Amino acid sequence: MEILIYGAVTSAIYAMLAVGFTLIFGVARILNLAHGSFYALGAYLAYVLTTLAGLPLWLAALLSIVIVAVFGVLVEKILIRPLRASQLGVLMISLATALVVEQALFLTFGSEYRNVPAFIETKYNLFGVDVAGQRLLTLAVATVSIGGLYGFIQFTRLGSAILAISQDPLAAKYMGIPSDRIFSLVMAISAGLAALAGVMAGPFLSVQPSMHLLPIVKAFAIVVVGGLGSIPGSIAAAFMLGYAETIVAYMVSSSWTEIVSVLATLLMLVFRPAGLFGKRAAF
Amino acid sequence: MKAFKGLDTLSSIGGLVALLFLGVLPTLFTGKYLVGVLTVAAIYGIWAVSWDFMSGLTGRENFGHSLFIGVGAYAAGFLNVHFGLGPWWSLPASMLVAMVFAVVLGFPTLRLKGPYFALAMLSSAVIMQRLMLIFWEYTGGEEGIHDITPLIVNPLHYYWFVLAVLGGITLLLSWMARSRWGLILRAIRGDEATCLAAGLPITTYKIMSLVISAAFAGLGGALYAHYQLQVSPQLFAVVTSITIITMVYVGGMGTIFGAVGGALLLTVMTESLRNFGEWRLMVYSLLLIFILFFLPNGIIAPIWQKIRNLGRPS
Amino acid sequence: MTIASVKKKFKSMLAALLLCTGLLSSSVVLAQDKPVRIGVPTSVQLQVGRDTLTAVKMAVDEINKKGGVLGRKFEFVSADETENPETGISAIKKLTADEKVDLLIGGYTSGVTLAQLPHISAAKTIYLGVGAASPSITNKVKQDYDNYKYIFRVGPVNAAHQARGLVDFISKFVIGELGYKKIAIVGENAKWVQDLVPILSKGAKDVGADIRMTELFDTQTSDFSPLLAKVKSSGAEYMVVVLSHASSDVFAKQWHDAQVPVPYGGIDVKSMDGDFFNRIGGKSISQIAANFAVRAPITKKTVPFFDEFKKNSSNFPVYSAFFAYDAVFIYADAVKRAGSFETDKVIKELEKTKHEGVAGEITFDEQHDVQAGPGKVNFMFVQWQDKGERAVIYPKELRTGKFIMPPWMKK
Repeated sequence: MEILIYGAVTSAIYAMLAVGFTLIFGVARILNLAHGSFYALGAYLAYVLTTLAGLPLWLAALLSIVIVAVFGVLVEKILIRPLRASQLGVLMISLATALVVEQALFLTFGSEYRNVPAFIETKYNLFGVDVAGQRLLTLAVATVSIGGLYGFIQFTRLGSAILAISQDPLAAKYMGIPSDRIFSLVMAISAGLAALAGVMAGPFLSVQPSMHLLPIVKAFAIVVVGGLGSIPGSIAAAFMLGYAETIVAYMVSSSWTEIVSVLATLLMLVFRPAGLFGKRAAF
Repeated sequence: MKAFKGLDTLSSIGGLVALLFLGVLPTLFTGKYLVGVLTVAAIYGIWAVSWDFMSGLTGRENFGHSLFIGVGAYAAGFLNVHFGLGPWWSLPASMLVAMVFAVVLGFPTLRLKGPYFALAMLSSAVIMQRLMLIFWEYTGGEEGIHDITPLIVNPLHYYWFVLAVLGGITLLLSWMARSRWGLILRAIRGDEATCLAAGLPITTYKIMSLVISAAFAGLGGALYAHYQLQVSPQLFAVVTSITIITMVYVGGMGTIFGAVGGALLLTVMTESLRNFGEWRLMVYSLLLIFILFFLPNGIIAPIWQKIRNLGRPS
Repeated sequence: MTIASVKKKFKSMLAALLLCTGLLSSSVVLAQDKPVRIGVPTSVQLQVGRDTLTAVKMAVDEINKKGGVLGRKFEFVSADETENPETGISAIKKLTADEKVDLLIGGYTSGVTLAQLPHISAAKTIYLGVGAASPSITNKVKQDYDNYKYIFRVGPVNAAHQARGLVDFISKFVIGELGYKKIAIVGENAKWVQDLVPILSKGAKDVGADIRMTELFDTQTSDFSPLLAKVKSSGAEYMVVVLSHASSDVFAKQWHDAQVPVPYGGIDVKSMDGDFFNRIGGKSISQIAANFAVRAPITKKTVPFFDEFKKNSSNFPVYSAFFAYDAVFIYADAVKRAGSFETDKVIKELEKTKHEGVAGEITFDEQHDVQAGPGKVNFMFVQWQDKGERAVIYPKELRTGKFIMPPWMKK
């Protein structure tokens, strides 16, 4: 029973990260290794705004998300766009950006763990399992935000524009869709989602400068398994991986959890590079 | 063909001069510090050169190079500490172990394109790192294997030994890169389909180049183990692979010798940045972005080109 | 040759001779004035490291105020060894080859120290450990005295002693006073814990504990919910922890938020930080951590040290500080007794150390390892209580407060 609930929470966080990651890839073909940094910045900004600036939690959270979204757009525009011709170039510059962010956080806050206050401090008992309120809230927020995003893409004009670009960038351009502006929008959404994950998870997971690393590895794994560029694929894979990890942690031991996602990535790449739902092969 | 030969002579003279300079350098300064830094730089050079041979030429960026380094180093550690073999056995053993891994991993992954291959190799390296931690009873876990005996106790002599190995490998791989082998690898980078149509055994070439790349990476790993006298899972880390890729990038992808320059430059830079204390890694990362942006062809190779062109009529 | 020219020559020769003598004597004097350099390899980022440095600074200042030792003043320089063996080795190299220090005081992660040992030995520099607990470190002194005689451990007491201290705590307090026989042992998967847990398990069983589960988790773990759930379902009544590098903050927070009905305590280095309770919003309430000293007159030096430390830093010291402070004086005293700074002579005197330190009396066994026992360095168990107050719970003789249960378990 615990597995069910804890697994859901873990999967929810992963889903938020993976969806953003796959979105920017699907639309702009950018493998953004700085994605984890958005997650980290979300958590740290929440910490700074509540602890140091004394703002109420909900306001701090909102501001964090907005600031990180803007940051994401800037990164895309200034650093990534000029290098878009080379896949490796984008990879390396996004990685370098992630390193700069990590160092900046390290220099500002030190390497020790920081504590972000939670939205809900109480404990709930769901079906006999003790769950911290914050975890449940995270699950709820994740569901709402991803659901909202999906709806946005499926049912609005802007969403269709995004879909169009991801399917055929050239045709979309001929149709008059302003791809550059769409890229920025998608980046903002992607970064914002990651920041939201950071804000939500910060209270109960660790907040330290290198926290961007693990999420990006997991996000990569999920997106590969689900299929690069496919949102439903990412969500499905996020749950699969989240549960796989949780099951392994409970049944065997926590040490094996890391391997689960990475092994899944490797196996998927070897046997079915397109992932479960991916439309295109490992081009 | 004459131009081709001419290339070699000038390059070989340049290489020889560089080698001599590097060999003499530490003797000019007292203290063991410089030798230490240069030894590590030379080992990174070996790793960078081995990476460039495979990935720089074929365009298949291997993000898991640290795996071959790590298995080579751990092989050295195991043989030395757990089986009590003399340190010189590590050298061929590490190469062998790395080559086996290359074959096993190469078959399924080399047919993947672009970032997928990179990702597959990255994942493999991460898995190996994890396995080292999980089976800590055998591998020493986070703290790894320590108490490895050194190959050559005198640091200066060891440095010359490593330098000689670096020179030898660079020479060998440069020669291979300029030979038919390199031509085919570059062709693979350009257009695989055409190569297949031309009847070239692409898979064999790809795997062979990965195996060669892995062998030298493993060798470097063993040299490292007998220098640090310790191996830890950190060797498998993504950071190691990325550092090496950066070095090759700085030196100039695909040029082989550029990788050596890149390794030396970056290692020395990292050490001298120690004075910046906490700011060291930050400065390094910013420098990286700068180089990526403004010097996409690297630093070393273009500079060498300019030097070469000095003596030529335009 | 005229007399005038001979005189001139003589004068210039005399001048040259005087000059030489002057230079020589001044260089001798300079050599006397050359300060003793202490290298401090430690985890600069963590409180353990910061406190080590503050303590060394305090000791160095005190010694210099009294004129130094044998006419030489002390100074120190630090190098970040982080928690990574590779960085640790390069820190040692920097200190010994580049900074050319005369003495090394520091250490925290046992794995890092073990990796550094061959390099310290090659540099033939005395190393006084103040933070790492693995017995393997001092075992080398016994295995290969000639090469490793430079290594001493001033603190903490090694993992085996710590295990026995924990067993005492379990037997006399957890079982004896609380009546809890069923325990769970949870620790991070680091070398010192791997050394400690087998001794702990056996010792605990011998005193009647019923060990319901033992688990070592990856030091990087950030989500302890599976682990805590396992502890709860194992039926354990008390959770004994062995933590140092792991995320004690996150562990405490998650334990508190899930209101795990199992109180915990044991060795938890990060929870010894003065601001631990406050920085996690008070969630470590009722947690017990082993410590070597608190601001109480354990020895004559304890209270003055704590007060002076608080003036130099914004918090109370953690364990490495006690030993780092003592280490500097231990070295200084050994040098005084040896009458020279020569390494081998100093080592012989170091072996005879009998020093009243901050946490207890420091003496070394044949392996250069600090000894535990009555009057020497020992564990005491301190609990976090309301409003961030700390009370010594065990041993009984040093008790300063009553044990409290986690707030959700109060009857």
